[in-house]
Amino acid sequence: MTASDVERRILTFIRSELVSSDVSINPDDELLSGAILDSMGVVRLAAFVQEEYQFKMQPADFMIENFRSVAVLAHFVRKGTSTGQ
Amino acid sequence: MIDEAALGHPKADAARCDGATLSYEQLSRRANGLARALLASGLKRRDRVAVLLGRGLNVPVGFYGVLASGGILVPVDPKSPVEQIVRILRATGATHLVSEPDKRNVVLKALANCPDLSHVIGLDSEDGMRFECLPWSTVDDEASDRQPDVGVIGLDPAYVLHTSGSTGIPKLIQHSHASAMSFVDWAANEYALTSDDRLTNHSSHHTCFATFDYYAAARVGATTVILTPALLMMPGSLASLLEDERISVWYSVPTALVQLTLRGDLDSRSLSALRWVLFAGERFPQKHLRRIMEQLPSARFSHVYGSTETNVCTYYHLPTAGELGHSLPIGKACSNSDTLVVDHDLQPVAGGDEGELLVRGSTVMSGYWGEPERNREVLVRRPSAGALEEVYFRTGDRVRMLDDGNLTFVARADLQIKVRGHRVELEEVETALLSLEMVEAAAAFAIPDGESSSAIRAAVVVAAGSASTERELLAGLDDVLPSHAAPSSIALVEALPRTPTGKVDRNALRASSIEGDRRDDSK
Repeated sequence: MTASDVERRILTFIRSELVSSDVSINPDDELLSGAILDSMGVVRLAAFVQEEYQFKMQPADFMIENFRSVAVLAHFVRKGTSTGQ
Repeated sequence: MIDEAALGHPKADAARCDGATLSYEQLSRRANGLARALLASGLKRRDRVAVLLGRGLNVPVGFYGVLASGGILVPVDPKSPVEQIVRILRATGATHLVSEPDKRNVVLKALANCPDLSHVIGLDSEDGMRFECLPWSTVDDEASDRQPDVGVIGLDPAYVLHTSGSTGIPKLIQHSHASAMSFVDWAANEYALTSDDRLTNHSSHHTCFATFDYYAAARVGATTVILTPALLMMPGSLASLLEDERISVWYSVPTALVQLTLRGDLDSRSLSALRWVLFAGERFPQKHLRRIMEQLPSARFSHVYGSTETNVCTYYHLPTAGELGHSLPIGKACSNSDTLVVDHDLQPVAGGDEGELLVRGSTVMSGYWGEPERNREVLVRRPSAGALEEVYFRTGDRVRMLDDGNLTFVARADLQIKVRGHRVELEEVETALLSLEMVEAAAAFAIPDGESSSAIRAAVVVAAGSASTERELLAGLDDVLPSHAAPSSIALVEALPRTPTGKVDRNALRASSIEGDRRDDSK
């Protein structure tokens, strides 16, 4: 699984499940500005990546620096799955 | 008030947000600049000024600027649907709007349907606009140490807040300057606020929580640390901010604290600066409350009760986690309020009996905006001392007085439903669900069955690591709820929908549940 694979799957999930069709979103867009996701959206997104990539997030992982953008989240997911958490 | 804080603590931080800071001197000068800009654009005393701003340092400038202008502040949530914004602007007849460039699209969409609105502060003008625009630089040009002399008295309207209302049509709630100040003075005194304190604002600034977060802070020259949307979504980062900013007083709905206790990694933070934690608006699930009290041993906890109509009117300071009783009282009346528990005829009930809570006091609203009939229903007159009449607000909440004089909450009248002839409190169903170990959060809601009875359904967030099923949850309820009070179905969800204050949005749950039925039917 490459970084761009993970990015693409996360983007597909956000576009299809979390935002209305007129919202455009790119890997480097600010995810937490309030314009794209709300707190429920964040919880669903966290649940999605944990399920999809079979790893478990710890309480200390719910940090802005892990969810800032799709690119950053993809990096975090790859790190999480490779350390086998 | 801001001018006083600016004189007493000119260099102290009034507000901080995302690394930027506004001192009391700067805040006072900009707020006076905004007031002058509003007056120069024709604003008259009591004209309504909507404030549509994102979380940031413009918020206190907008609030104090409008209040200093003699206009009536109408805070609007920029995240509301445009139709809701239009409804509020039209119902209040707002003539002026304070906003900022990144809200341009929302503002333009809303104003297309608001013919009364003539001036927008904070946007650049462009050709073809029906209203006049003044950029924020105008506010800076007008900045001044002196508040304009507009002759406002305490009983003049200060602001009109709104709640979503159970029907989705907003209720517009108007408070005077005197009512806001009465609450602010009570809070500053009760929680011994000083200029060393650092508050936050978790709830949106258009809710009644802002009265504490902003105005009580300014009363004593304390700092308000404004939370960005990202911090509201990331409990770990929020906990880290509480530590770094040495937050000393917190006020929010319980949900925010539940998120902090479950996902904020509080055990690894040094939060000894936090001395008061106030919460209101919903029941605090006991298991989460006990846990966070253990995690924050240096903080005292205070359960405050009220509504946007009354502001805070009763309060209860919690004992230690070990001494917590099974249910949490809403406590006793604040020193500026009187409470009365009455029956259907508005006659006081015998001590200890259940009844509706009436509140009288200087923090009660002046009334709902433009609704004289509704005001007569909820602001009732009662004879007093043989020759007087006193005005009480009907809260709609069912309460009971305990032996120690504390009031305890029984149910909101509108959360009390009939199921096959039995009275059921939806909050009891939620408490029962939360008593199950595998439940992190729960909400119960009623689906009318068309025969003056209702079916109860619930939505549940299961605890991290639990793989519970609907069947297991229903089985778990067998021991704790009578069968008529058990939900007919439980949806397992990842998160509960919330109102802007952070309360569970039961309307949204009901709507999506009914929508789900329709989808099933059409299959």
